[in-house]
Amino acid sequence: MQRILYLIQKEFRQIFRDRAMIAALFAVPFIQLVILGNAITTDVTNVDVMVSDLDRTPMSRHFAERFSTTEYFHLVLMEPDYNALRGHLDNGRAKLAIVIPPHFQRDVITGRTPVIQVLVDGIDGNSAGVALSYLARIAEEHQAQLLQTEPALGRSLREARIIRSEPRFWFNPELESEVYIIPGIVALILLIITVFLTSMGIVREKEIGTLEQLLVTPIRSTQLILGKIIPFSILGFVEITVAMGFIYLLFGIGVEGSLWLLFLESAIFILTTLGVGIFISTISETQQQALFVGWFFMIFAILLSGFFIPIANMPDVIQYLTYLNPLRYFMVILREIYLKGTPLHYLLPETIAMAAFGLMVFSAAVLRYRRIIK
Amino acid sequence: MTPLISVDHFSKSYEEVRAVRDLTFEVNRGELFGLIGPDGAGKTTTMRTLVTLLRPDTGSVTVDGMDVRTRMKDIRAITGYMPQRFSLYPDLSVEQNIRFFADLFAVPREELPARMDRLYRFSRLEAFSRRLAGRLSGGMKQKLALSCTLIHDPVLLVLDEPTTGVDPVSRNEFWEILHELRAQGVTIVVSTPYMDEAMKCDRIVIMHDGASLAQGSPRDLVASMTVPMYALDDRDLVMNFSRIETVPGVRSVQSFGDSLHITSDGDILPERLQSAIGGALGRDVHLRPISPSLEDVFIALIEEGGVHVL
Repeated sequence: MQRILYLIQKEFRQIFRDRAMIAALFAVPFIQLVILGNAITTDVTNVDVMVSDLDRTPMSRHFAERFSTTEYFHLVLMEPDYNALRGHLDNGRAKLAIVIPPHFQRDVITGRTPVIQVLVDGIDGNSAGVALSYLARIAEEHQAQLLQTEPALGRSLREARIIRSEPRFWFNPELESEVYIIPGIVALILLIITVFLTSMGIVREKEIGTLEQLLVTPIRSTQLILGKIIPFSILGFVEITVAMGFIYLLFGIGVEGSLWLLFLESAIFILTTLGVGIFISTISETQQQALFVGWFFMIFAILLSGFFIPIANMPDVIQYLTYLNPLRYFMVILREIYLKGTPLHYLLPETIAMAAFGLMVFSAAVLRYRRIIK
Repeated sequence: MTPLISVDHFSKSYEEVRAVRDLTFEVNRGELFGLIGPDGAGKTTTMRTLVTLLRPDTGSVTVDGMDVRTRMKDIRAITGYMPQRFSLYPDLSVEQNIRFFADLFAVPREELPARMDRLYRFSRLEAFSRRLAGRLSGGMKQKLALSCTLIHDPVLLVLDEPTTGVDPVSRNEFWEILHELRAQGVTIVVSTPYMDEAMKCDRIVIMHDGASLAQGSPRDLVASMTVPMYALDDRDLVMNFSRIETVPGVRSVQSFGDSLHITSDGDILPERLQSAIGGALGRDVHLRPISPSLEDVFIALIEEGGVHVL
């Protein structure tokens, strides 16, 4: 036991010897948050839109004007010629074309449902979908407003649309994507610190030759591993605490749920990443090799975690594959605790899956490490 | 007194390569013992087995009566091992390095100051105790490494080519320290490819291709070489001596710097040999009788050993 403490003491001495390292400890989460938090955004604003008003009545004009008064859309032109719309879409002048049909005003007044045609440039499918949903909301708002300002139309309009869909977004009412992305960055920081520092810390001893020296001391291989992973785990926890502080300062997002639960889930999560770190150290002879393998693992873990690509959008086969990715569970858990304050019993399936993975990967890695050393 | 180390018909293979085969030797207590041989002779494998990092395939290896297969922890507690590529933590200071290894070997804290004083006295590193190990010169690094392996007062010190890559002055100093340690009763097993260092050992085993070619005190081994040897100082012949090898009465020819070392088969008079070689070359030569060095012994052993080792 005492020996593990000496190893930890040594490890921290080495970490704090390096002033650049200490600076990096605080700068890294800060920079990641600022860049990732602001750059990875799926919000859609200022979509270039054109309107073709084939009705040319006060009512149709009024509807068209709504698109110049919202930040989601940017009305670039009014095109009376329906056939010219397609050309504008193709050459990129606008992303969205709205065609107000002839007899729009008449249909509204007589209670028939007017059909508005929307043409969308679907190259960026995600943005197109988001823009369409904004459009639907605008149409509904317009309808609601008509009801109030022109009560005479009341009866016919109600008939025109008796059922109104009214989606309500909770927890992220503005649908701001950074709210969704940011808890994920906490997971990334933990992933990076534990995988990379663990694997490189062990490989470094191999590289400079001190491992051989440690092996002939009466120290046991289990103690040796603990002496490596404990300091880096502590560092990981310090790091995410710092990151959560920055998140509050920069984005005003605090942890809704229990901080202790968040730390407990993090501890379960890093069983896997520490295991991967140890495993990498058993197959790498140099720090560069460890770095390379670590990156390889990390890219897959992040891409298949739902960090920025929703898992539901992936092909079925890939979706099944994500069940093998512990980061996937941790992403869900973090977001739930962070944004909704979800208690543990609703997170049990993810927690159990993550713990099972963690124990499996960690013990396999330790066994392999001990066998290699012998 | 029983020997401290007893290696008995020890063999060890890595996959296809037979690193050590049927090696037998003993090291007495308080002895400075050398494993001598070129790279790939099996020195490192033998040493790593002594310090319990490898297990013998066949044969037995014991340290202080303890089997390296079963008493790993006990052997490690009384052994100091300095691997060939020894490195310290370059980002820790001299003192932090020594203290770290002291802690791992569970040296009692109250004994530490006295032990560090003693190590500082012979290594003369005290003035640098706060310097980072990475900023030490090669010779000083070597002494720090030795200090770290000595901090737990080992009975046995195993050093794998400790002076490879160290400057000649530091090499001499290092060997003086080894003799000092032996005087204090520490048993030392050291490997080296340098024959001048081998001469400084009490006893040596000469290894080649994983097998022992000869054992004994270096002086006895040199004396055992009874066949006459001659030097032929001729710079031009060094690269081209095949004509001499075929002269009757010549057993072998080796180039040594600017001269050739010629071993005769012992039955031929020096004058006859000299004129025979002169005749073969078509000019007068002068043979100078020399006493063989350990290197000559080594080469002679490899040449004749080549037959029965395989």
